[in-house]
Amino acid sequence: MNLAVVLVIAAVVALSIILRLAVTQSLQLKGSSGPDVSIRPIDIEAFRNLINPAEDEYLRRRLPPAQFRTVRRERLRAMAAYVQVANHNAAVLIRVGEAALAGRDGRVAEAAQLMVADALLLRRNATVAVARIYLALAWPGSEFAAVRVVERYEQLSGTAMLLGRLQNPGAAVRLSASR
Amino acid sequence: MLPAHSLLWHYFWLAPHILQVALAFLMWRRGLHSLFGVFFAYLIFEAFEEFTLYGLDIAPAVSGETFWRAFCVGLIVEGFIKIGVIGELFYHLLRPWPAIAKVGSRLVTGTGAVLVLLASLAAALVVPDNNHWLISGSHILQQTFYIVDCGLLALLFSFTAYFKLAWNYRILGIAVGLAILACEHLGTWAVMANGGLLGQRHFLDLLNMATYHVCVLIWFYYLLVPQKTPTTSAVSLPENNLAIWNRELERLLQQ
Repeated sequence: MNLAVVLVIAAVVALSIILRLAVTQSLQLKGSSGPDVSIRPIDIEAFRNLINPAEDEYLRRRLPPAQFRTVRRERLRAMAAYVQVANHNAAVLIRVGEAALAGRDGRVAEAAQLMVADALLLRRNATVAVARIYLALAWPGSEFAAVRVVERYEQLSGTAMLLGRLQNPGAAVRLSASR
Repeated sequence: MLPAHSLLWHYFWLAPHILQVALAFLMWRRGLHSLFGVFFAYLIFEAFEEFTLYGLDIAPAVSGETFWRAFCVGLIVEGFIKIGVIGELFYHLLRPWPAIAKVGSRLVTGTGAVLVLLASLAAALVVPDNNHWLISGSHILQQTFYIVDCGLLALLFSFTAYFKLAWNYRILGIAVGLAILACEHLGTWAVMANGGLLGQRHFLDLLNMATYHVCVLIWFYYLLVPQKTPTTSAVSLPENNLAIWNRELERLLQQ
C-alpha cells in the first residue's frame, strides 16, 4: 500500500505541474499574456576573456595551486552567470521570434524562423555548458571551454539584429556590446 | 461476469465512447485524421475495445475469465497506441525545429527506458490484490502503462516549457486530455493494484469513467471548436534596451 501512496502523490504532483504549464501555454496562445521582453545585455568581450584558455594557463603558471583553484572557481561561477544570461536572452528571443512568425511579411517570418532556430541551439548549448561548468567547479584544474556558447550567441545577435531591422527599419538592435 | 450496475454506470461506460466515435467521424470529415493519424486510430480502437468489453460484461453466456482475457489484450494494444499518440505529439512539436529534434528524440528514448525500468520495479513490488492472476495482472499492467504515459507526458510539457516552444492549439488539447487521463488513472490503478479500497472499487471505476468522459469533452473542444485569433500583434525587439547596449559598447571602446 506504501507503493500506492507514493504513486498517487507522484500522479498528483505530475498533474499539477502539467496543468500549470498547460494554463500558461493556453494563455499565451490566446494572446492574453505577452512575452517577457527584458533582454539582459552581455559584455561579450569580457565573456570571451573569461573563457580564454590562455588566461587560465597564465593564471595556472603564476599562482600557487591552492590559490589557482580558488581563482578558477570564481571565474567558473562568473562564466556560469554569463551563460545563464545568454540562456535567458535566447528564451526571450524564442518568444519574440514565434510572435513574429505569425506575421504576414514573408521576410520577417523567414528572419524569425532563423532567429528561433539559432536561439534554440543556443539554449541547448547553454544548458550543456552550465552543467559542465558546475561539474568543472568540483575539479577546477580540468579543462573547460564555453566557446560554442559565445559563438552561438554572436550568431543569434546577428539574426536578432536582422529581425529587428526588418520589424523596425529605424532602429538597430544589439544583444551584445562587441557587435 | 460483473454484477449489474446503476444507470450512471452504464452511461459513463458508453457515452464517452459514443462521443469518441462521433469525434473520429468529425475528424475524418475535417481532414484531421491525416494530421493526427495515431490519435485517430486511438479513438477508434478505444471505442471498439470498450463496446466489446461492455458487450462481454452484459452477456450472460460470457465467463469472467473470458472478460478479463479480452480486457488484458485490449489493455496491451491500447497501451502501445497511447505511447504512439505521445510520440505523435512530440513529432508535431519538434518537426519545425531540427535544431532540437535530435536532442528531443534522444531525451524521449532515454526517459522512456528509465520509465519502463521504474514501472517494472513498481510492478515487482506490488503485492497482488486478487487471487486470480489475470485480474491482479491486468491491474499491475494498467499501473505499468500509466507510469510510462505519465512520465512521458510530464517530459513533453517540461521540454516545451523549457525551450519555450509554441503549442498548436489542437496538440495542446490532445496533450492536456491525455495528461489528465494518465495522471488520474495512474492514481486509481495504483490503489487497485496494491489492494487499496477493496470495498469501494466501484467508486474508483466510476471516477475513472467520469474522468475519461471529461477528457473526451476536452478533445472535442480543442479539436473541433475554432481557435480565436490572438489579440496581440507580433512583438518587436525592445527598443528601450538599445540605450543599455550602446552604453556598454561605449564603455568597451573607452577601455
